[in-house]
Amino acid sequence: MMGRGAGGGRGASSGSGADASIGGVAPAVDGGEAVAPAVAPAVAPAVEFVGVSFAYPDGTQALDGVNLRIEPGERVAIVGQNGSGKSTLVRHLNGLLRPTAGRVLLDGRDIRDVHVAKLAALVGLAFQNPDRQLFGGRVAAELEFGPRNLGVRGSELAECVKSALAAVGLQDEAETNPYDMGYSRRKLLAIASVLAMRTPILILDEPTTGQDARGVARVRGVVRATVAAGRTAIAVSHDMRFVAECFGRVVVMRGGRVVLDGTPGEVFAERHWSELQAAHLEPPLPAVVGARLGLGSTPTDAALVERLKSNA
Amino acid sequence: MSLELASIRYRYAGTSAVALGPLDLVIEPGRVVGVAGANESGKTTLCLVAAGMAPGVVGGRLEGRVTVDGVAAAGLRPDEMAQLCGLLFQRAAMQLTHTTATVFEEVAFGPCNLGLATGEVVARVRWALDAVGVGELAPRDPTRLSGGQGQLVALAAVLALRPKYLILDEPTSELDPAGTQLVADALVRAARETGVGILLVEHKTDVLARIADEAIVLERGTVALHGPAAGVLADPRLAELGVEPPARDRLERDAWAAGIEWSDRLAEAIR
Amino acid sequence: MDSRPGDPIDGVPDYVTRRSTGFYRALNPATKLAVAALEVVAVFIVPGWPGPGAVFVALAVTALASRTTRALILIGLAASPLVISIMVVNLFLVPGAADPIFRLGPLAPTVTGLGVGLLTSARLLVFSSAVALAYVTTPVDDLLADMSRRGLGRRGVFVVGAAVQMVPRTLERAGEIMDAQRARGMDTEGHIWRRARGLVPLAGPMVFGALTEVEERTMALEARAFTAPGRQTLLRVPADTGLDRLLRWLAALALVAIVALRVSGRIG
Repeated sequence: MMGRGAGGGRGASSGSGADASIGGVAPAVDGGEAVAPAVAPAVAPAVEFVGVSFAYPDGTQALDGVNLRIEPGERVAIVGQNGSGKSTLVRHLNGLLRPTAGRVLLDGRDIRDVHVAKLAALVGLAFQNPDRQLFGGRVAAELEFGPRNLGVRGSELAECVKSALAAVGLQDEAETNPYDMGYSRRKLLAIASVLAMRTPILILDEPTTGQDARGVARVRGVVRATVAAGRTAIAVSHDMRFVAECFGRVVVMRGGRVVLDGTPGEVFAERHWSELQAAHLEPPLPAVVGARLGLGSTPTDAALVERLKSNA
Repeated sequence: MSLELASIRYRYAGTSAVALGPLDLVIEPGRVVGVAGANESGKTTLCLVAAGMAPGVVGGRLEGRVTVDGVAAAGLRPDEMAQLCGLLFQRAAMQLTHTTATVFEEVAFGPCNLGLATGEVVARVRWALDAVGVGELAPRDPTRLSGGQGQLVALAAVLALRPKYLILDEPTSELDPAGTQLVADALVRAARETGVGILLVEHKTDVLARIADEAIVLERGTVALHGPAAGVLADPRLAELGVEPPARDRLERDAWAAGIEWSDRLAEAIR
Repeated sequence: MDSRPGDPIDGVPDYVTRRSTGFYRALNPATKLAVAALEVVAVFIVPGWPGPGAVFVALAVTALASRTTRALILIGLAASPLVISIMVVNLFLVPGAADPIFRLGPLAPTVTGLGVGLLTSARLLVFSSAVALAYVTTPVDDLLADMSRRGLGRRGVFVVGAAVQMVPRTLERAGEIMDAQRARGMDTEGHIWRRARGLVPLAGPMVFGALTEVEERTMALEARAFTAPGRQTLLRVPADTGLDRLLRWLAALALVAIVALRVSGRIG
């Protein structure tokens, strides 16, 4: 098995974050002391899937015995063809779906009996289609919804909104009606609305679709800032360049199983191309060029240029 | 013979801002014209104007002329325009009727609307499905297709009206790499084999680099760059226009900027 | 250009011209609608038990022979809360009933109430089964194709088709919206006022999504020549046999007879 990606070596054992445990965070939702969302736990909880299988009511087997552990502070991209189980997998983290077999653990604890509204304090999930989510007449109201549900109020709430808007470059749009914005900006807004909840774990489902170069740069900024703040970032994406350049670890899914798992350098290395092809994926161009020139695995432009330089 | 947009200026209903224009553009049969540009630079508006939907269906005010093979679009009924200019959006789910039980009937919907003889309808459906390479999907349920397959069926459904031109607004944005590949291949095939002229809006410049003959980049409703696709997509101004260059051009530029000595071997590996 | 009903159409593949087969299922959609109409009228217009009784027997035979019993029982179960509440209301509250079965404080169920409750429940169940039987034995596109053949305009046919398909699509969208808001911590199981407030974040995207989709769908239909003048070509025509015509005539005659008997006071 391949090694873990960047962040896996942070050394934060899963047991050290007592204040991040589900029990410690949950009271905020019930109107108790509002600790969790505004002041993110020092250490995000680790995520663990143990033999998770899931079948939809019509019988479609979407997940087939997934074993996967994600350490606090990791940046993980989950890739695969449409229907490979990526979106189904991440919906298990906040309880929107429950496994038909196996267990999902946050910080070592089974979340089987934990309500979705409580898990929302730990796991923020930005959906692919913003139009299935936005309802506020003002951008600011849209952003307040999540943190407010978690019990955040007053100046703290204002700060959550302000920083989330700044993160996606919409700081001048607080009073705009979301429906007057184009699709790509509505999508950034939907991401910001989850960002404002300051959950220890952030999940982005296809965040770069429909985004132009500047929009993609904003999304990258969101991922970087999330991890810099000690939180965990997970993205489901078809965009291999975004995946290779922005994530420390890539998990490849096919037919409801994890078939590859490692750093971009490992996953996009030539020896895995046949497996990638079976998953209907293509390695990014710099990886192909590096292999052709015999330079080893160079999944990003920067890695390739670096290798070319040191070779010259 | 061409789809021609001349001295176009378009404003949406209830707004004074010009959403598109001033703009002139010609699309010739059998050629693929790629369109790139930052978000909200007027790409979708261009599609709606070229297909006669703006102002025809969405309202607003259009100055200038859209002509299809010499006929003014303004004087055509929507169903007449549909037989000259096909239009496809990014989401197949929006494009399909959801009232048919098989892909065959879904693709037949357009020709049936025209009241064509049964034999002609059948011939057109077969032809359109083959033109995009999905003949084997004909008996399937249209609501149970993958994203890429659904988009190909939607493309065939538009082609079955035998339009001379196709207008496509980000047809691959919701698709995975395999689906994107399928649609891109089908477009090349349609252009080469049926002589249809294609206007293709696409964020994925790698797709444009592969299949477009010429390209334009829009900025605030006007044409900022226009020319053969290879030249436009390698233009150094692309980034400041909010467009991601194709991977090959990006790599070349990065290597150049890092002062790496250019060699035939390197050029070969990147091409 | 239209073929006669029942004829195969040149070149159209079998999976398009597909025929509904099997007892009752193979009948023309209009025939099944006519039979259902007769049954519904009989249930409500014939006084006392003979109406629902006779229709029940007819339905039971048809359901057994067409193998739809299971679907009908499920629909009956779905209607059970309504049936139970009708029973309870009648049992205790029929005005003027003075024949209590027993007394327990203010509660006094009456024999009259029991009779009225049973009859009303039976009517409701038989009525919904008659409608449900027509529905489960008729594929939606058979109905649409038959409506087109009978000259209902393309807009009318499309509206009916879209309306039928809209239910599952709307439910799916509502599910996605609900998921998105629950993921943002919306409590769907809290106090009632909290849940009421929760309707706003659900209604917004439902309405907005519907509005934007209408515009996109309108354009997509225009792009497929939906508004072209003249008649549409039909690729499939559900069978309409002599038996269908006979059944429709019989249903119409029976309907007229029942109404006439009722109006003239011969029954009731």
